[in-house]
Amino acid sequence: MSLSDTATPAASAAQPPRTPSASAVTKELVAKAGATRRRNAAKWKLRIGAVCTLIVIIPILLAQVLPLPDANHQDLSARRLAPLVDGHLFGTDQLGRDLLSRVLHGGQVSLTIGILAVVVSGAIGIILGAAAGYFGGWVDTVVSRVLEAQMSLPLLMMLLLVVALFGPSIPVITFVIAIAQWPEVARLTRSMVLVEREKPYVSAARILGLHRIQILIQHIIPNVIKQATLVVLLLLAQAVLLESALSFLGAGPQRPFATWGRIISDGQDYITTSWWMVTLPGLVIVLMVVGVNLLGDGLRDRPRRKKKGA
Amino acid sequence: MTVLPQGSEISRRRLLQFGAAAGFLLGTGSLAGCAGPTGLPGPSTLTLALNRSLVSLDNKLNQFDAAVTVQRAVRQGLTAIGPETKPILVLADRFEMTSPTAWTVRLREGVRYSDGTPVAIEDIATALKMYQQVQGSFVAGFFPEFPTVVPVDDRTFRMESKNPIPILDSLMSMILISPAAKNKPEELQEGVGTGPYVVTKFNRGAGTYSLKRNENYWGPAPKVDNVEVRFLPEESSRVIALRSGEVDVIDSITPDSREQLAGLPGVVLAEASSLRLNQIFYNFRKPSSHPLSDVRVREALSWAVDGEALVKDVLVDSVSEAEGVVPSSLTGFSKTGNYTYDPEKAKATLKSLGVTDLNLKIIWETGEFASDTSVMEALVEMFGNIGVKTQLQQFEPGGNILAWRQGKQGDWDLLGNGFSSPTGLAITMMQGMYAGTAEKEKTRDTYQGYVVPEVQAKIQAASSEVDPVRREQLLATAQKAIWDTWPCAWAFVPKSVLAHQKRVAGLSLAPTNSYPLVDVRLEA
Amino acid sequence: MTKYILKRLGQGLLTVFLTVSTVFILIRLAPGDPAVSYAGPLATTEQLAKVREQFGLDRPLLEQYWIFLQQLFTGNLGTSYSFQAPAMQVVAERMPYTLTLATASILLTAVVAIPLGVWMARRPDTNRELGVNVLTIAGQSMPDFWTGIMLLTGFAVLIPLFPASGFATWGGLVLPTVTIATLQIALISRMVRREMTSNFAAPYLTVARSRGVGSPALTWRYAMGNSAIPVFTALGTRFAAMLNGVVVVEVVFAWPGVGSLIVRALETRDYPLIQATVLLTALLAVAVQLVIDLAYPLLDPRVRLGKAAAA
Repeated sequence: MSLSDTATPAASAAQPPRTPSASAVTKELVAKAGATRRRNAAKWKLRIGAVCTLIVIIPILLAQVLPLPDANHQDLSARRLAPLVDGHLFGTDQLGRDLLSRVLHGGQVSLTIGILAVVVSGAIGIILGAAAGYFGGWVDTVVSRVLEAQMSLPLLMMLLLVVALFGPSIPVITFVIAIAQWPEVARLTRSMVLVEREKPYVSAARILGLHRIQILIQHIIPNVIKQATLVVLLLLAQAVLLESALSFLGAGPQRPFATWGRIISDGQDYITTSWWMVTLPGLVIVLMVVGVNLLGDGLRDRPRRKKKGA
Repeated sequence: MTVLPQGSEISRRRLLQFGAAAGFLLGTGSLAGCAGPTGLPGPSTLTLALNRSLVSLDNKLNQFDAAVTVQRAVRQGLTAIGPETKPILVLADRFEMTSPTAWTVRLREGVRYSDGTPVAIEDIATALKMYQQVQGSFVAGFFPEFPTVVPVDDRTFRMESKNPIPILDSLMSMILISPAAKNKPEELQEGVGTGPYVVTKFNRGAGTYSLKRNENYWGPAPKVDNVEVRFLPEESSRVIALRSGEVDVIDSITPDSREQLAGLPGVVLAEASSLRLNQIFYNFRKPSSHPLSDVRVREALSWAVDGEALVKDVLVDSVSEAEGVVPSSLTGFSKTGNYTYDPEKAKATLKSLGVTDLNLKIIWETGEFASDTSVMEALVEMFGNIGVKTQLQQFEPGGNILAWRQGKQGDWDLLGNGFSSPTGLAITMMQGMYAGTAEKEKTRDTYQGYVVPEVQAKIQAASSEVDPVRREQLLATAQKAIWDTWPCAWAFVPKSVLAHQKRVAGLSLAPTNSYPLVDVRLEA
Repeated sequence: MTKYILKRLGQGLLTVFLTVSTVFILIRLAPGDPAVSYAGPLATTEQLAKVREQFGLDRPLLEQYWIFLQQLFTGNLGTSYSFQAPAMQVVAERMPYTLTLATASILLTAVVAIPLGVWMARRPDTNRELGVNVLTIAGQSMPDFWTGIMLLTGFAVLIPLFPASGFATWGGLVLPTVTIATLQIALISRMVRREMTSNFAAPYLTVARSRGVGSPALTWRYAMGNSAIPVFTALGTRFAAMLNGVVVVEVVFAWPGVGSLIVRALETRDYPLIQATVLLTALLAVAVQLVIDLAYPLLDPRVRLGKAAAA
């Protein structure tokens, strides 16, 4: 859809005969214009982002279907095989398990955690942020103070503590990441709602006698949710990174769940002899996170679709 | 947020000046609090990297293997555990059992602390008292009772006890001697000792110690001028530090690191047996109806474990399979049998015993032994091959595995655990693991619920026997009795492995996973 | 002005107080027993009880908290269980190392990220800029432990240019600093780009340009001058966050700072040490935040402290 979007101005610029040189704006000038460049950059970011993300996500989704050895199948006689040896595309790990299979199955766990965490943090963030922005007063004070306090907390340490507190399971880790991330959504939503609530349509709704909560839910939130979800996409990238950092420090979900951070921290001990055990899973994380970040960036920079016929 | 002042000209130059000033303010503020590098040791300095932080050079509360080397370089005991895991004399030149309940000890002539004061009998009496008083002492648990010191002349004294302590010469190796006046019932942070080195500088927070040769040392002078002790918790960092020549010695290395270091030019590996036994121990708190309460089931399960593959492939020959209930390096060890691998027999036996659908939970704490997670994940596969489902639960250090082990938190079936005998004696380990009584079980202080009265009686008999030959026999029968109860699905003895630069010579690693620092030399 | 500083200070101290109180409760609710870590796995139930009594852990939680509050006001948070020394002192011995690492990282970040961001803002969305832009995205997408391990392998093992761990020479500072700065440069340079692009589009710049102000002056004096506050704030906030412990990087490089200390303190459930670390780092972070706030009017004379509450 971004393609058709960007193709339109180029196409109109490519038809000079219809307007016989009434404008000094040539095709070259249009192509060099900031807006065009911006559109092109956004287009490329979206394309590269989509490719990077899909390269990682599609195999992860298909991990069960692909002709891969079982992620937990050990072959002690085939320990630490280099990539491409004996049909192991990524090589094998210290117990002779297929690394690619582990990375893909680990990716399922990591991604699930990431997506769940983002959904939860998005929900909390939008609700609290919108409430703070719309109602103001003590609601705003409380939410803003909590936001501020969380900024100055030693975050990673608190997360480690909470994981230690409730035991490392997928729900706990999901929740912990959500807690770490909601301030960003809340802050953004709050600032957007602050702007929206002064707009005429809100006054109109108020005059019509709608309840304040109804105005907030039915009229304001739909207007800000699109931009808020954009941030959520960037948060997904962060969630995946945070999960891998927690797993790396030992606060990942219980074995035998392979997660990306755990695979890397297991491989760390073999770094001088088996480079692939750290490098390849790390590259997969980077590829995926770069992809998601680029998508988020591209979507944000993409020119707003004009409201036609309005 | 911005309030425009009336009639004030905004000077960009002033702004930038102020900006620079603010940056400068912040910069200097933080720079003042910064630290410089800790400094590179000179060529005449030996640098050791330990895997655990050396919190003090005392051992009243804690003693982990690697610390022994450094502790004994500064403080010494009357005896020490020698290379053959037998006690050797250090500050004493005589240590004999002169009656069943009394040992006669004579202090070595001319032994002085690093500050020049002589070692007195009172120092020994005080040391014993302090070890006894300190809370949560690591050492006290090994003493059935603390002996009293009765001076005979100014160098000779008797150590008397109510009941015989036939292993007192080994036990006294753990009591480090400090001047009586400066000894306290806590870990001593400073103070002097009789060892070949003295501490010149330390940073407990970072776990670094600088040692210098003790010029007043009573024995042959140490060959290395300075010793630097560093703390590098991550295995991979220690390996890399050794490879790049930043440190001279790293100890307690894992099989994987050993594999990486083997054959590297300039790196020498040293290994010795160890005083530690790592086991996959059964939960003995199961109700009698549970399959694990049946010794035949426990034995059958052990046939599922491919010990040879674990030793060769997972642990890369850095361990040896246990051939008894304690490591073979311990004094008093007796071989009682071997673990065999026969999954078919295991399957058939379990079937004939009517044990189907067995679901086991294995628990352990991260870092309990080297390559722990790999061993556990391999076990899952092996038990799976005989149709036994397993579930892993890993605890991070500091977590509540103790509550689990004691059966207060949750149910489990197998525990990955290590036990070591710092005295070098088999009896220490047997008492710690298998001498559980119903009395102790009330407070859950037995080893995973292991309470077998016949075994306990046999260990008790062996521990109080004064005659060495007779004791040897009693120990052997006790070990056989333990083996027959099949307490572990598998057990292995890790080797103590250290790696050092080629320039380090004279380093003789003992099964205690330590070495006398006084003999170490540095070659050009 | 004074009133404003006092108010900010009060807010900061309140945050610190709430933080340490939260940590106090969290660590005591968490499973795990300091007595076990202290007395070792062989200790009997009776010995453990004695150790708990010695640490005061057998008292009711409220009483422990009251004692903790008293300690808080005297600045003495008790004796670290594992170090057997005043917890504050242990943290104070480690703090300079973290400070060094944080300072070096933030300096490197500022020196690289600001010019890079300006460079990007001056030619937005060109091919070259797009390339650099994607690179900065990559920079913020790499898990820092992975970057660290990769740098370690590359420049300490394969090409042994720098020491791999610890801080024995200044060379030891290089790899951890670069690891931290990789992420920070990516974040800050993108932020500078954003700020600068919006300033470039602002009317005052068009006016200045039409007056014939030269390009370097436009960029640095006009646009940068107005981006100074957000950039300075971002750098300061990042710096403050680093003081809370660059945990992962310190662990990877065996850096003797508070980050690796806190991981160990958590492992041994060393309550006083955990509390001391949190208190000290939170105090420092609040102090840095305050300095940043106070520096606003210096950076932008239009700003008046105290009247900015609506911001």
